[in-house]
Amino acid sequence: MQDNGHSPYTPISMHILRTYYESTDRSLKTLELSFDHAADSQEFFQAFNPGQFCLLSVAGKGESALGVASAAWEGDFVRFTAQKMGSVTSALHDLKAGDPIGMRGPLGNGFPLEDWKGKDLVIIGGGCAFSTLYALTKHVHHPDNRDDYGKLTLVYGTRTSGLCMYKHDIAAWHENEDMEIHQAIDVPEENWLHHVGYVPDVVRQVAPSPVNAVAVVCGPPIMTKFTLPALEDLGFSPETIFTSLEKRMKCGIGKCGRCNLGPKYICKDGPVFSLAELNALPADL
Amino acid sequence: MPDIEAIKSEAKRLLQEGVVEVVVAFKPGDTPLHPQPAFFTSVDEVDNLVYNGLCQNNLATFLTRIPKDKKVGMLVRGCENRSVNALIVEKQKSRDDLFLVGIPCEGIIDWRKIVERVGEAVLAVSENDYEVIIETRDGQYSFYKNELFHESCLRCSHRNPISADVIIGEPVPETNQDLANTVVERFDSQAIEERYASFQKEAERCIRCYACREACPMCYCTECFVDHIEPRWTESGATPAGMQGWHIVRAFHQTGRCTDCGACERACPMDIKMTYLTEKLNYDMRKKYNFETGLDIETQPPFATVTLDDKNRFTV
Amino acid sequence: MRKETIMNLILEKQALPALFQSWREHYDVYLPQKMERFSHFMPLSDESVLVTDEPHNTRIPPKALFLPMTEALVEFTRFGSYEDAKQTIQPRIVFAIRPCDAQAVQLLDTSFIQEGYVDPFWVEKRAKTITIGLGCHEPCQTGFCTTVGYGPFNKSDLDVLLTDLGDLYLVETISEAGEKCFQGFPTASDEIYEQALMVQHDTHDQMPVAFETENLKEKLEQNFNSDYWEEISQSCLGCGVCTFLCPTCFCFDIVDEAQRKERVRNWDTCMFRTYSLEASGHNPRPSRVERTRQRLSHKYVYWLDQINQIGCTGCGRCVRYCPVGLDIRAMLRQAQTLPFEVSHAG
Repeated sequence: MQDNGHSPYTPISMHILRTYYESTDRSLKTLELSFDHAADSQEFFQAFNPGQFCLLSVAGKGESALGVASAAWEGDFVRFTAQKMGSVTSALHDLKAGDPIGMRGPLGNGFPLEDWKGKDLVIIGGGCAFSTLYALTKHVHHPDNRDDYGKLTLVYGTRTSGLCMYKHDIAAWHENEDMEIHQAIDVPEENWLHHVGYVPDVVRQVAPSPVNAVAVVCGPPIMTKFTLPALEDLGFSPETIFTSLEKRMKCGIGKCGRCNLGPKYICKDGPVFSLAELNALPADL
Repeated sequence: MPDIEAIKSEAKRLLQEGVVEVVVAFKPGDTPLHPQPAFFTSVDEVDNLVYNGLCQNNLATFLTRIPKDKKVGMLVRGCENRSVNALIVEKQKSRDDLFLVGIPCEGIIDWRKIVERVGEAVLAVSENDYEVIIETRDGQYSFYKNELFHESCLRCSHRNPISADVIIGEPVPETNQDLANTVVERFDSQAIEERYASFQKEAERCIRCYACREACPMCYCTECFVDHIEPRWTESGATPAGMQGWHIVRAFHQTGRCTDCGACERACPMDIKMTYLTEKLNYDMRKKYNFETGLDIETQPPFATVTLDDKNRFTV
Repeated sequence: MRKETIMNLILEKQALPALFQSWREHYDVYLPQKMERFSHFMPLSDESVLVTDEPHNTRIPPKALFLPMTEALVEFTRFGSYEDAKQTIQPRIVFAIRPCDAQAVQLLDTSFIQEGYVDPFWVEKRAKTITIGLGCHEPCQTGFCTTVGYGPFNKSDLDVLLTDLGDLYLVETISEAGEKCFQGFPTASDEIYEQALMVQHDTHDQMPVAFETENLKEKLEQNFNSDYWEEISQSCLGCGVCTFLCPTCFCFDIVDEAQRKERVRNWDTCMFRTYSLEASGHNPRPSRVERTRQRLSHKYVYWLDQINQIGCTGCGRCVRYCPVGLDIRAMLRQAQTLPFEVSHAG
């Protein structure tokens, strides 16, 4: 990021390649961004690791921190899924293909994939926080990377089936024998073939084995709060349970101070932390 | 000089008899010039109560920070009593949940006037009826109180609490609004360029710390206009436009609500004058609407009410 | 101590105006000047009223010279792309910066200059600044620099340290840049040097210990859920005075000023409600209790975790200017009375 000569506060210029709604209620929209300069693209993919995030910039409105929802092999673009919440995300939702947009990233530590090699992966996501887990799954599942990891188990819960993201891929994963996917919705719906219930309960039901496994949980705080103990009950040690945290962010590079959790900055030392690391930090979320 | 023992005794009584759950007053500061607001919930704690001319905060600002249904006892001087009334008018507290211990007030000592005269190495401060005696590293000094009163207090026309449940101390002679009016008229008589230059000079020191807002009893909005994003009302930073926008709009939000207590100026770390803005607005309230803030707990401030017989038809 | 410095010189106070003029040929000279009833670092001009002999530091810390209250970071161009905001900084000399403030700037370096992410605005200002410190020969009433491990004649981050000896200063030049500022000045005699050393030691020793720092971090960490935090923050107004006037506070907000076509950063404070307010409405620090805990913990726990130094240089401003008279020294003395807890926070 420094090599392009810009200050770390200055976004690189990108354009919207494609944009489409993920959820039937139009609250979630995916944006796929292309690079204006090849050098930026090279630099990005050299540094990129699933689990990282970027700050998307709308000039005049501000920036929004969003997890990267694509894997490097997918092509020369970067995918994000934004929930419409405030002034910046509303502006993101208004963007169309061809519109300019700024980006700073990749930021954060991402998932510790080197440490996870050779292990079974239990990937647990809820709601719109699934985006980086989607990137992780796409990365791990690719033929180039698949042999580095063991069994792949996914649990993905959303309030309703309409809120499920990446429906096309998720449908394909249900058919895929190389991974076990458990999808859940909160309340019963007609024609729903999969689980009904909250993610922590589904996790207990599925009961993935902790032997030589790591679990990564990304979801709304309430889901994480109940899923982490469920995993511990199943025998996962705090060193093998990972989560991705969120807090209000501005600079994204550990300078403005606000996303701190004790002495750690979620933007720089995180957003991925193991439960063991979290237990050593103050309960300041 | 307020009768400290009588004040303590009343505070203890209020707690002992369960009339209130907390008494809001002051306790000694950790530095001699700054007694701290205090929240006494037990009789023993009241032994620590302190009350003197250096108690510079308008305690009514804490009323909106205490749960609404809690029964609160509060020491109030003239301005604080009116601020409390203004808050009752705005339904921020019910009069039934309050017990006001009124203290007639000659004025609040401006600690900056002390520091201006003797420097910051102050070791101890004491008062008698007329003077303030200051111990510093270099020796002892004394000044007449009226040399040290805060500017707002010099112009105050409501020194005696008007609706306290009990008054402790002898009434203080009231003055009328002539001085306050004169000060406003004198500033108003300057050419507009001069007035704007004064305003710019004061506003440009602002660091947007919002101490003025937090010290003011009437600034209790959960989300202040400066924190709005959609729409944005002023620039957020220490730019001329941002700072001027902040000062002017905050003053206007005080119209008909401000009691000229001066707590905003006393809180400001940059010694910014800002009461001249609210004093002008209060002057207009007096002259045009015959209204003064906080004289009772029913009358609505003119700019907070709309009636069909309003003089100006702002609305369609 | 003598080994550290390059030279010991004498500067007579009456030579100051001429010296400033000679510096002004190549530098902007910032020094404390009268602004209303207090002193403030401003560039020397012909109208300046100097205040270099008050027994305490300026109202606003000189961190403002490196991290301005408002600063543009990014400029938006017409075509939807972005450029670094341009910064024009003239080389400058900051004269009579106090050791507490200079030490604080060095602490802030560890945040703004980090491997991987370097703040170019900070770096350029630092590179173009020469700091000439003025030690405090009269301890100020509210300062507690010695308590937190620093002192009134601390040399951290100074190019030169001056010791006031009445009509003249002892000038200890610490860096080459500092030495260049005092070229041609006479060497101090051993007598003057010893006299200055005595002033330095005496002042240091005269400062009372404001609170005990041993085990303070553990006490604060382990009592994360204690009522202590509610007790000490009861009368806190939640303004930003303590943090804005603090030389080690660096938190900033970033906002877009569309009408200026700029993205700017402004001083921000963990004491404001909106600081960690999330778009969903959730606020991890919903009241003054949590925010006070964050402020004290940042300075006396987290800075230690990060760089093993207390993140407070004892300048005393928060004590002097808190509108409700809250005193961090008293808060920390009270913290020392808390028990050690077996179970850890979080």
